[in-house]
Amino acid sequence: MLFNSVPFIFGFLPLVLAGFYTLGHWRRDWAILWLILASLCFYAWWRPLNVLLITPSILINYVLARIIQHRVDERPGIARTALIAGIVFNLCFLGYFKYINFFGVVAGDVFGVNMVFANVILPLGISFITFQKIAFLVDVHSGRVTSFTLKDYALFVLFFPQLVAGPIVHYREMMPQFHAAPCRFHADDMAIGIVLFFFGLFKKAVLADSIAAYVSPLYADAAHGAQITLFHAWIAAIGFMLQIYYDFAGYSEMALGLARFFGVKLPVNFFSPLKAASVIEFWQRWHMTLTRFLTAYLYNPMTLALTRRRMARGAPASSATSSPSAFITLIAFPTIVTFAICGMWHGAGYTYIVWGFIHGVLLTINQGWRALRRAYLPRRMVIGSPLRFVGRALTFLSVVAAVVIFRAPTVGVALVIWKGMIAINGATMPQGYFDHGGVLVWILQTAHVRPDPSSGMLFIAAWLWIAGLLAVAWTMPNVLQILRNYDPALGISALAPPGEKQNNWLSWRPTTAWSVSMAVIAAAGILSLGQLSEFLYWQF
Amino acid sequence: MTENDILSDLTIILRDLLGDDSIMLAMDTQREHVPNWDSFNYINFMVAVEQKFRVKFKVSDIETFPNVGAIVRQIAALRPGA
Repeated sequence: MLFNSVPFIFGFLPLVLAGFYTLGHWRRDWAILWLILASLCFYAWWRPLNVLLITPSILINYVLARIIQHRVDERPGIARTALIAGIVFNLCFLGYFKYINFFGVVAGDVFGVNMVFANVILPLGISFITFQKIAFLVDVHSGRVTSFTLKDYALFVLFFPQLVAGPIVHYREMMPQFHAAPCRFHADDMAIGIVLFFFGLFKKAVLADSIAAYVSPLYADAAHGAQITLFHAWIAAIGFMLQIYYDFAGYSEMALGLARFFGVKLPVNFFSPLKAASVIEFWQRWHMTLTRFLTAYLYNPMTLALTRRRMARGAPASSATSSPSAFITLIAFPTIVTFAICGMWHGAGYTYIVWGFIHGVLLTINQGWRALRRAYLPRRMVIGSPLRFVGRALTFLSVVAAVVIFRAPTVGVALVIWKGMIAINGATMPQGYFDHGGVLVWILQTAHVRPDPSSGMLFIAAWLWIAGLLAVAWTMPNVLQILRNYDPALGISALAPPGEKQNNWLSWRPTTAWSVSMAVIAAAGILSLGQLSEFLYWQF
Repeated sequence: MTENDILSDLTIILRDLLGDDSIMLAMDTQREHVPNWDSFNYINFMVAVEQKFRVKFKVSDIETFPNVGAIVRQIAALRPGA
């Protein structure tokens, strides 16, 4: 069941909320049980068999967590073995469902063997759920989680607002909220939840799905062997960047809004990433809870081990940018490995691995640049200078170029689009622009732009959408900033302090003007619900 | 060695690491407050601190130090003879 569907908005959600608030009046326990049951139904709606997969997985993880908890002080060896067993179990679970078919493809490509596995269907949200379960086991082992019950753990894994596509949450940030939640109707939470949910729905149903209509045919054409020319290739690249931007922003806001209906705040997951002035900053704003997970459980342990080993062998205790070998060992290697895994986490295919590798290289270049900048540029040139504008432009171009292979069905299709972006396939514009003569035709012909049979209206509409969506992403405050006085998400105070200067008219308040505006936004979102349109991140 | 001494040594280590002599760490300083002190530099800082004070942090501690003061207190607790 999609968040952006009529059965969810007008059936499932009102029913679950009514049951939750009503049961909460009598006993909190019942309300929580109702929420767990509702979350299981939500998960089962897509494919009932999945409940038979996720339930044993929850029980196995729970038992392992209990073993870790009880043995960590007296028998640390057993606790460590249980932790490793849990991590291996979860990775194998993910590996079987997500990667078995891909491993068959790789075996075929490398060894020439024809390995066909059963048609394994990927359970919804398995990548997100797996990461949360691993994080929980690690947190129990390290003592960051000291008490838990089966009911709490089941709610932590299954809570439907973030079950399928995050944010990836920690037990320790969720459970205190569930324990403190009154489980009753609360007007403030409902109002904030509605603003978040319908802004998100608008972004998904009106903005992301609209630009998708211009983008998808270009990738389909490229997959069918068409040469994509300059302007069309840039529509494919920037257009998809904007599609996934508004799709994921929309999903993240809807998830925050849904959780808020239950009195729970989820962590910030998306914070105007196209305003980033570096690729490092981009990852501090895009899918922030994934970055947090990768940093804490993959990058940091890897870098820590490498740094300690290097220093134990007599290397000086200086910056990782102090020498080329330190840079390669302590920055380039762990960064590229982490992001190649990040790419593979998104999907089982060469394209995702290459995308992750590209981001790893971009981040490494970014770190190298920072080191050079610190060494050679005076400080006053670094802060508050036009460099930030240049940084933003370069970051935008880099992530736009990289996202092509994230969207392309094969590496070959991505190459076609990339070639188009640097005009190797030439430049064309719709025939209609050449029909009327005049200065425009002279300019186009002078610039060696050839006519093509595509629609002039669609071409101009695509660029208008791109211009409009970019203007919003670059110049407008995001919804969390608009709501900042109402603490809309965990971690928002560090990103947008309540006292931060901002246009007052854009700060949400419970006023008539905002009510009317929200009604229009909600109506536009609901009226745009047409065909099933999955969130892009639901496939991961 | 007092907490102030540790804090002053941490400031020197971070200044060297980031090449920024204007950094002034306080007990309530958080990583977000210091320009360029990102996750990449954080690990290097922590290992340099380990070397300087001859202590070893747990990975989980490194990730959850809420501010510089927590690092200072952990160093004080871990140092031989503390």
